Amino acid sequence: MKKILTTCPYCGTGCMYYLVVGDDGKLAGVEPSTEHVVAKGQLCVKGWNAYHFVNHPDRLTQPMIRKNGKMKPASWDEALDLVVSKFKEIQAANGNDSVAFFSSAKTTNEENYLMMKLARAVFKTNNVDHCARLCHSSTVLGLAATFGSGAMTNSISCMEKADCILVTGSNTTEQHPLIGTRIIQNVVKNGAKLIVADNRKIRLSRLADIHVRCKNGTDVAFLNGIMNVIIAEGLEDKEFVRIRTENYAELKNTVANYPPEKAAEICGITPEEIIKVARMFAAADRAMIIYSMGITQHTHGVDNVKSCANLVMLTGNVGRPGTGVNPLRGQNNVQGACDMGALNNVFSGYQKVVDAAAREKFEKAWGVENLPDKPGLTITTAIDAAADGQLKALYVMGENPMMSDPDQNHVRKAMEKLDFLVVQDIFPTPTTEYADVILPAASYAEKDGTFTSTERRVQRVRKAIEPVGQSRSDWEILCDVARRAGYDQMNYNSASEIMDEVAAVTPIYGGVSFERIDQVGLQWPCPDKDHPGTPVLHAGKFSCGLGMFSPAEYRPSAELPDNDYPFLLSTGRCYFHFHTGTMTRRSRLLDREERFPYVELSPADAKELRIHDRQWVYVTTRRGEVKAMARVTDVAKKGVLFMPFHFEEGPANLLTINALDPVAKIPEFKVCAAKIRSA
Amino acid sequence: MNVMTEQQLEAFFKSVESNYDVRVPIKLHDGTRTLGKLGEGPLALAGGIIPTKITNVFFPQIETVLTIGPDDIQLQEPPAKPLLVVGFTAQDADCLEFVDRFYSENYRDDIYFNKRESAVIVCVSGRCGADGEFLKIAGEKCDMELICDGQKYLVAAYTKAGKALVKKAPIKKQASDKTFEELQKESDALATDDLELIQAASKLLLDDKVPDEFWKGISDRCIACTSCNLSCPTCTCFEVFDRKADGGIQRRRMWDSCQLDGFMREASGHNPMGEEKIRTRRRIHHKLAADVTRWGHLTCYLCGRCDLVCPTGIGIKAVCGEMVEQYGSK
Repeated sequence: MKKILTTCPYCGTGCMYYLVVGDDGKLAGVEPSTEHVVAKGQLCVKGWNAYHFVNHPDRLTQPMIRKNGKMKPASWDEALDLVVSKFKEIQAANGNDSVAFFSSAKTTNEENYLMMKLARAVFKTNNVDHCARLCHSSTVLGLAATFGSGAMTNSISCMEKADCILVTGSNTTEQHPLIGTRIIQNVVKNGAKLIVADNRKIRLSRLADIHVRCKNGTDVAFLNGIMNVIIAEGLEDKEFVRIRTENYAELKNTVANYPPEKAAEICGITPEEIIKVARMFAAADRAMIIYSMGITQHTHGVDNVKSCANLVMLTGNVGRPGTGVNPLRGQNNVQGACDMGALNNVFSGYQKVVDAAAREKFEKAWGVENLPDKPGLTITTAIDAAADGQLKALYVMGENPMMSDPDQNHVRKAMEKLDFLVVQDIFPTPTTEYADVILPAASYAEKDGTFTSTERRVQRVRKAIEPVGQSRSDWEILCDVARRAGYDQMNYNSASEIMDEVAAVTPIYGGVSFERIDQVGLQWPCPDKDHPGTPVLHAGKFSCGLGMFSPAEYRPSAELPDNDYPFLLSTGRCYFHFHTGTMTRRSRLLDREERFPYVELSPADAKELRIHDRQWVYVTTRRGEVKAMARVTDVAKKGVLFMPFHFEEGPANLLTINALDPVAKIPEFKVCAAKIRSA
Repeated sequence: MNVMTEQQLEAFFKSVESNYDVRVPIKLHDGTRTLGKLGEGPLALAGGIIPTKITNVFFPQIETVLTIGPDDIQLQEPPAKPLLVVGFTAQDADCLEFVDRFYSENYRDDIYFNKRESAVIVCVSGRCGADGEFLKIAGEKCDMELICDGQKYLVAAYTKAGKALVKKAPIKKQASDKTFEELQKESDALATDDLELIQAASKLLLDDKVPDEFWKGISDRCIACTSCNLSCPTCTCFEVFDRKADGGIQRRRMWDSCQLDGFMREASGHNPMGEEKIRTRRRIHHKLAADVTRWGHLTCYLCGRCDLVCPTGIGIKAVCGEMVEQYGSK
């Protein structure tokens, strides 16, 4: 039996623990690390069970190729040669941008870096993206526009130092449990003020000083209303605004149009609630905002993020411990996948592809010429392009768009229309059903590398067991594809060597190496080998110099309830499952806990519709219909339905709308119109 | 009394590896202490309780209990060599004594006793706790004990198995009886505040003086991480499931948790423990009230693990503290 220190593959909190390996070479449990800075000897329920899916009999164990409509086992040589020849053939006939690559927030930094290198250096396209598009692309753009850096400003330890915490659009105890518990401890032990702005009665709302239940999608009006009160009552941090920010006049003008009465009307709450929140937030010496998908997954997601940034700048809550704008990243390595440039418009370290100097730098580093200079397709626009027949081939690594992207029928059409689909994953998924080639990947327990957590901490992932069956690490597969495509500068003996290359071309990771993060991870920016890392961003100066107030006007969501579809449907995750359920639904205790697709509705709505708890119902939107089990609960507000998107047999994303934020191209998973009836 | 240094003990444990499957406290990669084999990390006798549930050596997080092949059914075999487990505290020894009884009194859990029956238990006590804390001397609750005087370990053997083991030790030094007496005195003088606290909480529960609203407040702070169960040496519940593996079907069992809805949910979906506050109450009520009626004593031995591992600060001592503070004088 051995015990290997590694990082959890679920949320972005970044807890490290030990994988216990039995004498039979299979995983036999986990043990918390008492020394880890975040976990501190503790874990959530998913962490305790993060070993269980790894040796599940469903694991993909050998390459498969579609022959005469059926998937047949193939050798690695056969499968990879086919991938390369088809991609080259399609590009030759339709141009470089007729193919796209979906990278993965589940895989390591090294693998994301190589995926973007493969797309750009080898296949000469910027059509590379990953699921951050679906969760925090609004954050990356919104915070970059206001602060100059699109990441969580502070550290997880800051949750214990804040005097006032505004949690909005984050069910923290369920989605980032060990961050949620720090909030609980700060409130219970230190008496910190807690404001929860969330339509649902989430656990944190039970401990909150104020719980505001705005209508979904009215965040800009709510935040503008708060800022209106702060300015009207002279509660802003005048010194901070004067010295550290610009464009204040513009903000003042915009929020002047949102007196509490008007904002409250839009939000469906009382003016007093807005005034109370404004005063409580402004009164704190150290106040912070914590947000997640409830802010970002809207057609006005970028505006929501900017408004959060505006509020903390207005109150001088940036650059100090216990303050800041803290978007909680949902996946283990979604921060890292962004940092590595697995995005359509940037190389690693957010170096823009439109910048000639950046291109020249990467051309030199990679030994290539003519790197593509226009931003490519995003996950969402690539699906649209495939459905339209513009995109011909897609390489999906560790993603499951059939379950994770909006409007499943639209995604299905796209998958069916593709000439060639490669899916590299650890389990069969609804997406692999459409694949022409399936490549079996090693799980997080079978490879080395790094994940970057939500607090920008780069941490080690370690190989605990041998890859299952013939599966291989994603990075080894990608290198093999590159070699077969005739590119000879993607050869590495270890994941550590890849990180050394990342560090050489990525200033914010300049000082990161496996040696330095052997026991404790480093928080970027870490520009050189002597730099200790950066727990709090924007201290003294924003990344962009002065903080840019970026006021936004309230815009209604794309599809609101009407007579035909009288309910508002919001989607998200539950505590026991993760994303499309590929891992948690193969973990015994987690799947036992939540076995069925379900829809939350309020007791008042249930009574009116004569629907009782645990009854099967149909939820219908303009995109389709899904059968789910009714969960009658006061967590749900009257008129609002909530469904998690984990269940293949009841896919919430069959119902969601493919309406995108105009800038970030993030879908509006949090608002669409629906109806519900007994099954 | 015999005396050995940590280095001598390490060499001694190494020397008996041919006869025993030796497990000792070691330090892992980042300094986390655990039970492991010699050579898997530096020996770390000092430091107090091993954070992970120590009874996992006999009742691991997950194990195969039988394998159904095409032609036969294979049951779990007893280990080839008896386990020699070093690192129990006195409280851990109490826990183990209870689990032994629990798994044998009404029905005998052969899977557990496969590993437990032949095992030799070595407690570690004295001046070697975390942050200088004195660890209570276990005495005859274990087979053998290593009592730290601050530098070296006094080696005490209590049972036949313990004495047989000590005989093999190349002991060169003896400590005076006075040293042991001093240590014993120090052990006897250890504060009993925590015990009095949980006894007071137990009385409140048995007298039905703790209302639902208290448990509602505690459950609001519980995120159902299950850590309290999974770290508690006297939590014995498990889930059984079958999984295809290696050409057959393996029946496995894994630690379960009464904090989960699925733990007691009926096939219909109804759950007699369907409310969070009932589940939160259950674990503590079980150890401090239900077990008192069933077994005649508390089944929390104050090892402290649930208080360390609970991310929201509602381990059993913390909850008892709040309970006694709120209802104790009424």
